Amino acid sequence: MSQKRNDGQASPARERLLVVCPGRGTYNATEWGTLSRVAGGSDWLAGFDAMRQQAGMPTLSELDGQTPFRQSLHGRGEHASPLIYACAWADLLAIDHERYEVVAVTGNSMGWYIALAAAGALAPDEAFHLIGTMGLMMQETLAGGQVLYPWVDEAWRPDWALRQELLALIGQIHGTQGAELHLSIDLGGMLVFGGNEAGLASLSERLPPREQFPLRLYQHAAFHTPLQAGVREAARRKLSAKPFRAPNVPLVDGRGHIWTPWSTDAEQLWDYTLGEQLVAPYDFTTALKVGVREFAPDRIVIPGPGATLGGASAQALIQLGWRGWQDKASFQADQQQEPSLLCMGIEAQRSRVVRQTAG
Amino acid sequence: MLEPLPQEQRFFSALRSGDWPRPERAWQLDEVELSPAALAELFETQLMSRHLDLHARRLQARGEAFYTIGSAGHEGNAAIARAFRHTDPAFLHYRDAAFLLQRSRSVPGQTPLWDLLLSFAASADDPISGGRHKVLGSKALNVPPQTSTIASHLPKAVGAAYSFGLWRRLGGDGGEWPIDSVAICSFGDASFNHSTAQGALNAAGWAAYQGTPMPLVMVCEDNGIGISTPTPSGWIEASMRSRPGFHYLACDGLDLLDTWRAAREAERIARRRKQPVFLHMRCVRLYGHAGSDAQQAYLSPARIKADEARDPLLVTAGLLQRHGVLDADAIERLYRSIAERVAHVAEQAIRRPKLETAGQVMASIVPAARPGRQRAWQGEVETPPAPMAKLLNQALKRLMESYPHLVMAGEDVGRKGGVYGVTQRLQAQFGPHRVIDTLLDEQSILGLGIGLGQNGLVPILEIQFLAYLHNAEDQLRGEAATLSFFSNGQYTNPMVVRIAGLGYQKGFGGHFHNDNAIAVLRDIPGLLVACPSNGADAVGLLQEAVRLADEEQRVVVVIEPIALYHTRDLHQEGDQQWCFSDPGPEHRLALGQLGQWGDGRELAIVTYGNGVYLSRQAAAKLEEEGVALRIIDLRWLTAIDHEALYRQVAECEQVLVVDECRRSGSPSEELITALLERGMPGDRLHRLTAEESFIPLGRAATVTLPSVQNIVERARWLVTPAEQNERGVASVSKVVAGSDGA
Repeated sequence: MSQKRNDGQASPARERLLVVCPGRGTYNATEWGTLSRVAGGSDWLAGFDAMRQQAGMPTLSELDGQTPFRQSLHGRGEHASPLIYACAWADLLAIDHERYEVVAVTGNSMGWYIALAAAGALAPDEAFHLIGTMGLMMQETLAGGQVLYPWVDEAWRPDWALRQELLALIGQIHGTQGAELHLSIDLGGMLVFGGNEAGLASLSERLPPREQFPLRLYQHAAFHTPLQAGVREAARRKLSAKPFRAPNVPLVDGRGHIWTPWSTDAEQLWDYTLGEQLVAPYDFTTALKVGVREFAPDRIVIPGPGATLGGASAQALIQLGWRGWQDKASFQADQQQEPSLLCMGIEAQRSRVVRQTAG
Repeated sequence: MLEPLPQEQRFFSALRSGDWPRPERAWQLDEVELSPAALAELFETQLMSRHLDLHARRLQARGEAFYTIGSAGHEGNAAIARAFRHTDPAFLHYRDAAFLLQRSRSVPGQTPLWDLLLSFAASADDPISGGRHKVLGSKALNVPPQTSTIASHLPKAVGAAYSFGLWRRLGGDGGEWPIDSVAICSFGDASFNHSTAQGALNAAGWAAYQGTPMPLVMVCEDNGIGISTPTPSGWIEASMRSRPGFHYLACDGLDLLDTWRAAREAERIARRRKQPVFLHMRCVRLYGHAGSDAQQAYLSPARIKADEARDPLLVTAGLLQRHGVLDADAIERLYRSIAERVAHVAEQAIRRPKLETAGQVMASIVPAARPGRQRAWQGEVETPPAPMAKLLNQALKRLMESYPHLVMAGEDVGRKGGVYGVTQRLQAQFGPHRVIDTLLDEQSILGLGIGLGQNGLVPILEIQFLAYLHNAEDQLRGEAATLSFFSNGQYTNPMVVRIAGLGYQKGFGGHFHNDNAIAVLRDIPGLLVACPSNGADAVGLLQEAVRLADEEQRVVVVIEPIALYHTRDLHQEGDQQWCFSDPGPEHRLALGQLGQWGDGRELAIVTYGNGVYLSRQAAAKLEEEGVALRIIDLRWLTAIDHEALYRQVAECEQVLVVDECRRSGSPSEELITALLERGMPGDRLHRLTAEESFIPLGRAATVTLPSVQNIVERARWLVTPAEQNERGVASVSKVVAGSDGA
C-alpha cells in the first residue's frame, strides 16, 4: 500500500498525512460490524480468515458478523488484536493516494504492529501473524493489568503538577507489599499504569475518583512493563526477524525514534519490536510529537475501528500547541471548520480521505 | 515540488552520470566496523544538515531566517558524533549541525529539524536559546550552546575534561555528566590560530604532559580557509603532530569511513587513557563563509569548482553505491524526501512566536535558583581580630569544609598559598585536586572554572592581579556571562572569581600590580562584582558570593583590595583598628546591602574598597573640625541598590563620591547619575576620582589616586557655606569635570 509514497515526485497538490494506528480497546460493541462494512468481500480478508481457520480460530468475518458481540469473547487478545488490525488495514487501503501522501506512520501500543504493516516493514500477512501471536500470548499469560487515569482538566488543558504527582505514585507504590507498578503508556492527557493486582489495587485506592476513572482496562495485561519479560522471551523464540524489512515510509516508534526507508536495520527493528517495546513504557505522546514536528503533516489520520484514540491524540496535540490548539474547545472549533485530525472510525471524517470510489 | 537551488546542480548531475568522487582511501565497511544501515543513517544526517543550510538561504531571502552561516562541506563530522556517547559534553563549532543531528539519533524522541528551524527563525519556542541566537545546542544531547566564532569555547572544554577526574576524586556523581565522559570540542582551521585556542591546547597539553587525566578530543575541522585568508598548506599538522601531551590523529572528513575510523580511535584513547587527542579532520567549505559572503571575490572560479567537486555528500553517495547500500534511485528519493521534509517543517516553524519584549529577551540572563548544597559547619570560629587576608583565609577554609564540591584554582594558590597568603595551607588540608595550582594563563584559569561550574562544581578562581584579567576578560564576558542567556537558563557555570586588585600598595607595584580599571567587569549583564573594604565585610561578601554561585548559579567577581590585605591599623601604628573579628559562617552581605559608618548630615561620602579606608582616616580629621558626616560603603559594585543609597544620603547636605577608579568608566558615573535621576540637586553631588592615568612606580604610585588629604580638602570645601566659596553656582557638569584640586 505504501510503495508509491516516496517517489520524491509528489504533486504539490497532495496533502501530507501522518497516520496514527490504533491500539487495543478500540473494537467494542459499537464497532461490531465495522470490518464487514469496510472490508467485506475483499481478498485479503479472505486470506486472513483462512489463516485463522488454519489455526483453529474463529474467523474475523465470523467474529464481526455472525457471532454477537461479547466483551468476554471479542475483547480477548487473540480476537481483539486481529480485528483491530483488519479494520485499520481496510481503512489504510482506502486512503486516496492521489490526493494524500503518507509522510510518516506511527501508532499506539499494539498500534505499533499495525504501523509496521502500514509502513511496509512487515507484509500484511506477516503482520497478521505477529499480531495474532502476540494477542494470544498476552491473553494466555495476562500478566498484570492496566489502569487509565487523566492528568488534564475537563478542558484538556495540561496540569503538569498533577502529572508529576501521578508519576510519583509509581515510586511510592512499586515494591511495597508485593506491589508492582509501572508507567505503561504516556497517552496524551492520560497515563496508563501497568502493574500486578496488588500494585493496581493500591494505585486505585489512592487515585481520587473522577468520572469513570481510575479505569481498569478489561482483559488488558500490564503491557509495556517488565511484567512482560516472559512474553518477550517467548515472542523472540516464536517470531523471527526474517519477515522484517526497512519500511517504505518513515516509522515513528513508541520512544519517538524514526525508522527510515533508507537506514533501517531490519534486525534492529525486530529487536525493538519484540524487545524494549514490550517491557518499557510506550510514549505515544512523544511518538506523535516527533511525527508532527519532524514531518509537518497537513493532517493526521487515525484509521478505525472506532475513534477513541482521537481524544488522546488531540490532548497530545494541545500540549504541543499544534494548529494553535490550547484546549478542547479550540480543538473542537477548528475541527468544525476544517478538521485536521481525521478519525476514520467516524464516517464523515473517513469520507474525506478515502478514494471516491471506495466504499 | 521544491525548486532546487543552483548549489544543488552538481549533486543532480552526479546522480545522472554516476560520476561520484572517490575518497583517498578505499576502506571496506567491515574493516572499519560500520554497518550498511549506519552508513545510510550518516548520509541521512548529512543530507538533513545540507538541506537545512540550503533552506536557510531561501528563508533568509523571505526575511524569515537571520543567520546563514552553515555546515556545508563539514558534514563528515556526523561520523564523529556517532563515535561518542550522547552523554559526552560537546562544545561545537558553528559548522557542526551534522554532529548535532547525528547525536539526536541516539536519544529517541528528539525533533532536531524542528528545533534547528525554530532556531533559524529566532522563535521563542527554540528549545535551546529561546530565540536569542542561532546556536547549536541541546540540553538533552549534552551540547551546551556556543556562539563563538573565535574558539573562545575551547578553554571551558579543557575545564570540563578536567572535571570528570575531579568528580572521581571527590567520590561523587553529582556532576552534569558521567565521570567516564570525554569532552569534545570543535573549531575551524582559522580559529585554531586564535590565542584562546592556542591557550586551550597548551593548557590541555600541559596538564596531560604531567599525567593529569584529560579525556578530551579537540576536533579541528580544516577547510583550508578562514573567510578569505588561506591556511598555509600543512600548517595545522605541522603545528600539532608533535605537540607535547597530545595524540595527533588525522582523517579525511570527506570520507565517512575514514572519519569514523579516526573518531573511534580518538574516542578510545581519550576515554581509556584519559589523554587529549587532536583530531584533524580535513574538509571543504562550500557556498562561501556565510550567506552574505561572495567567495568569487577572492577565490578563482577554478578553485570554487574544485571545492564543489570535493563535496562530502557526493563522496558519501558514491560510497553508498559502491558498497551496495543504496542505489541511485534510492539516493535521489532520499535526497528529495529530506528536502521536502525540511521545507515543510520550516513552514510550520517560522509561524511560531518570536521574542517581543525586553523582558522576554532578558528572562534568562539570571538563571533559576537551585537547592543549595552547603553542609552544616561544625568548627569553631577564630575570633581574635585579624586583617583581611587572614580572615579570608579562615573563610575559605570554612567554605571548603562546608561545600564538598567547592574547588579553588589559580596560579600559585596551592603550594605558595597565593601571592598574598590568602590561600595558605589550604592545599595541604584539602589536597591538590581541590586547591589547584594552574599554569600561568588567565584564559585557561577562567576556562577551567567555566568547565567545572558547568559540570556541577563551584569553583573559586583566583586572578593574581586585576591587570592580568584583561587578556582573559572575554572568558567572563563572552562565555561565562552568556551561557545562561543563550541556553535559556538550561546551562549555567556558577563560579566565584577572586581578583586581587586596585592601588595603594606600599613599596610594590607599578601599573600591573595596582591596576584600578574595573569598568570591564561592570557592564556585563548578569555578572556581579563585590569589593570589600575590610576583613569582616570580605568574609560576608565571599560567603554570599559562594552562596550566590551555589544556589543562584551566578558568576560573581570579588575584587580584593591588595593594599588592605594586611592592613591592621587605621589611624596610627599599632591601633589595630583595621583588624576585625571573624563574623562567622552565617555572616553574608546580600546583594546591594550597603555599609554605613557615622550618621552626620553635613556630608555623605559614598565609596568602596580603599576609598572607605581613606575616608575613615579623613573622617577623623574632619570630625575634629566639627564636620558631621557619614560614610557609605557600597560593598557591591554592580546591582547597586540606588533607592537604598538615595535614602541613606538624601538628608545629607552634600554628597561626595570617592572613587579610586578613574574618572571615566568608574562606578562614580553611575552613582552620580542615579542620584540625579532620583531628584538630588546637581550642586549637592560631587566626585573625587583617580586621574585618567596608569599607575606609576615608586613614590609617585598614589599621586593620581584619591588621598586622605584630597578627601579632607574636598570635604572642607563642600561644608563651607556656599557664599564663602564658588560652589553656590557650580553646576553638575562643572563639579563632575573637576576632581582632585578642582
